[in-house]
This record gives sequence, structure tokens and C-alpha cells, in this order.
Amino acid sequence: MRTAFLITAKDLRQRVRDRSAFLVAVVAPLALAFALGATISGFSAGSSTFKIGVIDLDHGPAASGLLGAAAKPGSSLVVQYVATPAEGRKLVKDGELDGAIVLPHGLSVASMGGPPVQIDVVGDPKNPIGALVARSIAGSFASYMRTIQVASRALGAGPAETIKIAGRVTSSGPPISTSDTSTTKKNLDPKTYYAAAMAVFFLFFAVQFGISSLLHERAEGTLARMLAAPISRRSILAGKAMTSLVLGFVSMTVLALITRYALGAHWGNPLGVAVLIACAVLAATAVTALVTTLAKTYEQANAWLSIVSVVLGMLGGSFFPVAQSGGLLALLSKATPHAWFLSGLQDLSSGGALSVVVEPAIVLLAITVACGAVALVRIRRLIEP
Amino acid sequence: MSEPVLRCQGLRKRFGDIQAVNGVSFEIAPGESYGLLGPNGAGKTTTISIVAGLLEADAGEAFVAGERLTTRSVAAKAAIGFVPQELAIYPDLTAHENLSFFARLYGLSAKQARARTEEVLEVIGLSERADDQAKTYSGGMKRRLNIGIGLLHEPKLLILDEPTVGVDPQSRNAILESVEQLGERGMAVLYTTHYMEEAERLCDRVGIIDHGELKAEGTREELVALLGEHDKVHLMGTGSLEAAANACARIGAVDAASAGDGSIELLVKGASAALPEILTTASEAGVSVHSVEVEAPNLEAVFLHLTGRALRD
Repeated sequence: MRTAFLITAKDLRQRVRDRSAFLVAVVAPLALAFALGATISGFSAGSSTFKIGVIDLDHGPAASGLLGAAAKPGSSLVVQYVATPAEGRKLVKDGELDGAIVLPHGLSVASMGGPPVQIDVVGDPKNPIGALVARSIAGSFASYMRTIQVASRALGAGPAETIKIAGRVTSSGPPISTSDTSTTKKNLDPKTYYAAAMAVFFLFFAVQFGISSLLHERAEGTLARMLAAPISRRSILAGKAMTSLVLGFVSMTVLALITRYALGAHWGNPLGVAVLIACAVLAATAVTALVTTLAKTYEQANAWLSIVSVVLGMLGGSFFPVAQSGGLLALLSKATPHAWFLSGLQDLSSGGALSVVVEPAIVLLAITVACGAVALVRIRRLIEP
Repeated sequence: MSEPVLRCQGLRKRFGDIQAVNGVSFEIAPGESYGLLGPNGAGKTTTISIVAGLLEADAGEAFVAGERLTTRSVAAKAAIGFVPQELAIYPDLTAHENLSFFARLYGLSAKQARARTEEVLEVIGLSERADDQAKTYSGGMKRRLNIGIGLLHEPKLLILDEPTVGVDPQSRNAILESVEQLGERGMAVLYTTHYMEEAERLCDRVGIIDHGELKAEGTREELVALLGEHDKVHLMGTGSLEAAANACARIGAVDAASAGDGSIELLVKGASAALPEILTTASEAGVSVHSVEVEAPNLEAVFLHLTGRALRD
């Protein structure tokens, strides 16, 4: 073991010196976790307010339906009156408004059976979400007007009656409502999800600095020098494997701590997180070892490892939750260490007991054993001069 | 007679269809410098790899300092210092760190490693740059560090595998001087090269290897004596050199002929008498001879005599 520690210490010294491990294991995942978490958080419900302008050229009672909906407490919509379509376009272009809706002259008459009119929506291509919100509001408003029109015709109502009907439609709630509560508790918040997803994604790159460096040392001649020394070949392998494990553990732990305290990620029970990290690092090291044993050169190993890391990361949900798409992708996702790590963390983060990590931990260890066993059979060829 | 530091008996190694080493046997006495001389692909590096404990021989055995050598034998390997052909150093570590790491791998304690590192830095002339990363060194300094690593544990046998390949003349001379000094300090040296001058300058005895077989071995004088009254003749010229070499080889006085880079090398018994016939034959074969050089026999001529081809082939 003394020799293995010497080799690990030498490897770590090299990695610290060239800063590559630091960039791959800490800086890159942290930057991406922050960027993705912040972006997705920005799109989350309740976290943004859209400012929509209304240009009321109708000056009739119809516009009150739209304004009434916007004025509801908790609405993420702010409606601002604008005098003219030209002013509305300018405000949207300047970014003062996310979008604008032009209620045309004759709108109220149209709702009472008059000639049809057209509602215009003003949007800025640079703010597609704002335009989408304005278009959605306009569409809903058109449906609302259609409802009043149908009710008015069915009852044979005159203008005064129609206004009353409109008031009733506005004040009464919809007959059917929807609520997305089934998985809310189990889902990680965006910051935690992307902190964990990026950590496990880059883990597969961080551990490459250990095992795959055998091929680099072979090409450079330093492996021959080690093989000529009075040490066992097993100790060289152990040293390289320990380098992978140390880099993996340090990377994941540092990321968990930084994202916990700097980004406010909620990883859950520390012991459970430690178990998941340990198992994920073992699995990543075993997968890396297996892929490395299939390559002939260091460059080939790096290329293959990058491809495998990206594919596993994509399938495992490091960028978007593939498992939720169902079908074959969901099935493939279950074969990745990433998916099991994130699944365990989701259960843990939502307040699950420590026992929730047992299943993902067992699966991660099974991946370790399966890949590690094949790698061990093939790894002899890596420690030849 | 003292026990040899290295004793190889009938070493064989095959890679697929290629018999890289075929029954190689030789011994090296304590303090002796032994050169394995042969062209590229002759089997030198494979022999060295077996003797350094990197490769397992298919057959035969080797003993270092009385210990049987295999890829797993710790005691035998501890007696060997190995300097590979490549610059086997870590460029992002300092000379100090490189030496300390390998000293510890060879079983030296931290204290011993520190002391030996300082001594070796002094020997290889890198004390003042010891804390600079090796990637900042000149080619010659890297070569010296490469050799220094092999000296750390004061081995009984130092193996150098073509240490001057790709080295500028100045650094090459520095390396040769270092190796000469090692021999003077009583360390046995096994040195592979395809440069005849290096083998002649450094080695007490030389083994000539070709196609995996040790063709002959002995001191320079013993090997040259194998040639008898032969001279080495260089014909420099242009034209069908290969055809001319084959035609000249059929002349009775010509022992061997080989065409190379703008010249033909011949091993000739009684060169002055045979020269007119050689020149006529070369001319008839389509070669325009520009100059002729007759040399006293050397190891290159011995190689030509033993293998029928030049060292450069």
C-alpha cells in the first residue's frame, strides 16, 4: 500500500500543479450548475412577473374582463394601460413591456353579436417568452369573449343582459381546475437538481485523471520505469485507482458544500449524501476503468471516455430529466449511474429517511462490480511496457 | 572469478510471427561495460526489456546479482537501474520531485531518498535547477535527469537503452562522459546502441545482435580479429547502388557488400589489390563512383562481416 500511496500522491501533485483537475472537477460543474440552476429558476412558476400593455381602442365594457383577471391577487401579470398602438410598440421594443394587446374598436359590439374583430398582439423577437405570454392572454380573452357571445345568443339577451352575463362569467370560477401536485414534493428545486446533476456529470471527467493516466505513462515511458522498479504491478493499479477515487470524492464533496452554502442547494441528510457520493464515485471509477481497458492509446481513451461520459450524462438526466419522457429513454436512463444518484438524492432531499438511499446505493455498487470485474480481467494489458 | 552481475541464458521472446529474441546468452562482470550493438529491430530493446524485468521471456533465464529475474522478482529488480530510451520523467514535476518519487519507489526511506536525491543532483549537474519543473529544462538536462533516476538506488547494474537517440552532439558527448564515469566507479553497465563509435568508446565488451540472435561477442580487438586481413571499403557514388553491391559481393576478395545512403560498403580481403576489379564491377553495374575510402577494420565492419548488412540498414 505504501507504493500505491506514493503513486497517488505523485499523481495528485501533478493534477494540482497543472490545474486541469481543479477546472474539470470544481470550476466547470460549479459554473454550469449555477448557470442552469439560475436559468431554470427564472422560468419557474411564481418567480417572474410579466408586464403586459393593453391598448383599449374599444372603450366599451368588454375590456373589463381582461383587466379583472389581471387584477387577481397572486397573479404574475401586471397590466398597464397604453394610449396608442404606436406607444405600445415603442414600450415593447424598449423592453418596458413584455408584450402588448390591442383591443380593437367594436370589440364590445362583437361580443353582443356584432361583426367580428381582430385582437392584435405586440411582441419583441428578443423576448419570445413575453410575446408568448401576451399571445396566451389574448387567446384566453378571445375564448372568454366567445363564451359570453354564445351565452348571450342562447338566452336571446340584449346589450344590458349581455353585460350582466359577462360579469357573472368573470366572477364565477372555472368548472374544472388543474393542479400539479403529484410529484412536487419529490422533485429537487432547480438549484439542487443542477448542482447534483453537474457534480455527477463532471465526476466522470474528474476520475479519468487516475486510471486512464496509465496509458499516458505508458506512452511517455514512465510506466516502464515504474515496472522496472521492485514493486508489484498491483500496487501501480491500486495507486492509479486511488487517484481516481480521491479526485472523485474531493470533487463531489467540494461541489456539495459550495452549492449548499453559496447557492442554497438542499442536498438532504449528509450521511445519505455521503453514501450516494461514495457509491457514485466507485461506479464512475469502474466505468472509466472499463472504457480505458478497451482503448489502445491515451488519446483514444480520452475520446471514448468523453463520449461515454456525455452519453451517460444525457441519458442519466444531467441536463434534463430524460426518465420522465418514458419509453426506451426511461429504460436506458435506469442503466446509468447518474440516474440512480439523482433519484436517490431526490428522495433524500424531499425528506426521505436514510433508507431511501439503499436501493440507489445497491444499484451503483452493482454497476461498480459489473464494470470493475470486466476491467480487472482486461486491465493487465494496461500495465505492460 | 567473481560472480557475474548479469547472466542471461538462452533468452527467447516471440511477438506473433516475429521471433524478437532467439536464444540470447551473455554475462556481465561487476564493473564491466557491455554493449549490445545492432541496427533498429535487431532485438536489443526486447532483450533489455527482459533483462530489466519489464517482459517475461518465453524461454531461457536471467540472473541479476545471483537472483533469478522475472517481472515479479523484487530482489533482482532492486539491483537494476533502468534508463529507458524515452525521456521517462514527469515534466510537470521538478528534478527534485522526480528523483524523490523514484527513490521512494525503489524502497529508500524518506531520509535516504532526500540524501540520495541531493547526491544525484550533484552528479548530474542539476542542483541549481533542482526546484524548477523539468519541462523548463533543455534537452540535455532532461537526458541527464533521465539517467540520474537510474542511479538513485546505487544499482549493481545500470541498463541504458539507446540513451543518445535523438540527442544533439553536445548533449550526446555529455551523456557518453557520464557513462564513462559510471564505469570508472565500478558500476556494471549494459548499453544498447546502433552507433558503432559509442560501443567502441564506452564498452569493455560488445555483443553484436541481429535478427534476435547474438552473432558474436568479445572485446573490440577480439571482434575485429574475426575479420582477419579484411579492410572496409566505402564507395561513394550515384546510380544503381543495390545492383552494384550485389555484383561486387560476387568478387572473390569481397566478403560482404551492402548498399546504403549514397554509398556501398564492402568488406574486402586485400583491398589495394582488389580495388580495380571492384571499381570496374561497380561501373558496369551502372554506378558512377565519386570517391573511394579504405578504412581499418572496426565494429561496423565486423557487423557487416557477420550479418552481410550495414548497421544503418
